[in-house]
Amino acid sequence: MDLAIPLAKTGVISAAANLWLAIPIGFIFGFALFHAGFTDSRRIAWAFYFKDVGVPVVMFSAIVTGMVGLWGLSLIGVLDITLVYMLPTYLVPMAVGGVLFGVGMVIGGYCPGTAIAAVATGKIDGMVFIGGFLIGSLLFGDFFPVWGDFYNSDYLGAFRLDQWLGIGLGPTVLIIVLVAIAGTVSMIFVQDFVWGKKDTMTKSRPFMKLQGALVAAAVAIGIIFAFFPTESFIDDSVETPFYIVPRADVTEAAP
Amino acid sequence: MKFGTRWPPIPAGILIGVSMLLAFVVAGRGIGASGAMTRLVAWVQHGLFPAATEQSAYFGRYFAAGAHPLNDYVVFLLVGLLIGAFIAAWRSGELRLEVLRGPNITAQNRLALALAGGVISGFAARLARGCTSGQGLVGGAELSVGAWAFLMCVFIGGWLVAWFVRKQWI
Repeated sequence: MDLAIPLAKTGVISAAANLWLAIPIGFIFGFALFHAGFTDSRRIAWAFYFKDVGVPVVMFSAIVTGMVGLWGLSLIGVLDITLVYMLPTYLVPMAVGGVLFGVGMVIGGYCPGTAIAAVATGKIDGMVFIGGFLIGSLLFGDFFPVWGDFYNSDYLGAFRLDQWLGIGLGPTVLIIVLVAIAGTVSMIFVQDFVWGKKDTMTKSRPFMKLQGALVAAAVAIGIIFAFFPTESFIDDSVETPFYIVPRADVTEAAP
Repeated sequence: MKFGTRWPPIPAGILIGVSMLLAFVVAGRGIGASGAMTRLVAWVQHGLFPAATEQSAYFGRYFAAGAHPLNDYVVFLLVGLLIGAFIAAWRSGELRLEVLRGPNITAQNRLALALAGGVISGFAARLARGCTSGQGLVGGAELSVGAWAFLMCVFIGGWLVAWFVRKQWI
């Protein structure tokens, strides 16, 4: 296949051009983080108290957009998915890291991207959080031999949910869309139940018609996806060049 | 239709998703924030202790074949993120130096907790090979099992500790 996308991997643009183009992409990311309200540590932390469930709703929307876009471009044959870097799974270290990360998030009130955005808007607690974050990263790296073996344990390769579930990729996309909607609706319900209807999320209620249309569009795309088998999205028989450990070793090691 | 300063969550999330999709299309990889900060500490430590940092089991790879740790995609992305958030806040008249905190905590205690939370998150993001954006959002879109496990565990970890720091926020 001679597809042009991803541009940097197919040689359409140079490595240097790719670096410079990261700035406008980061710009959109930072711009959106601010308008999502994520430069305010309280709004992020309130998610853990169901006082403002904007955080999970924004995250669900971002994931669904990225997912539908990535796999959709692969499906219609404009993006060579084997050239996209697929994140490898190290299940137990990632789960343990996730729990710790959540602890740090509710104590500190930020995650790294939102803290950087908060720094740009003058939030002093964001600057201090970043200071701590740099210290934490340094500790991890300098004492790496202590936890290096654990860090590299439980490697499963670029292991996708559809492979784990044993179903097609298309239906999996539909399931994620439905999970995102169910999660959003139930969290808004809990927020209203616990805190009453006069909280920050209510400000978005005038835009419910627009948001409802966007959700309906996501469901429609998900249903279309569900009719396509995995091979229409990705050829799993070809090993991508990004495997850190060859996939064959993983399949042999799996029980 | 005017969204104002704080957009409704779904359009805001979609714009974050669009930035991620652009990264997929242009660079063939996702967005992220924590990687750039690891590179930053590697660079600073290299300035102080060059030999030890180059031999470090973890930071050494950033200096392989004479590479500069800051000459990387994630660092450029971070520069864009800073500019984007700055411009958005400036347009909305929300640029000001302040300590954000709940009504029941002093600014000093809030900053102490921000530092503690930062240290824990910084360590955790390295262990999980990414943060909410680089691991959670990008891996979530790629349908990665590890990323979905990470995301669920972030909320579990947050809920486990939320009760103990409630005075900070509510």
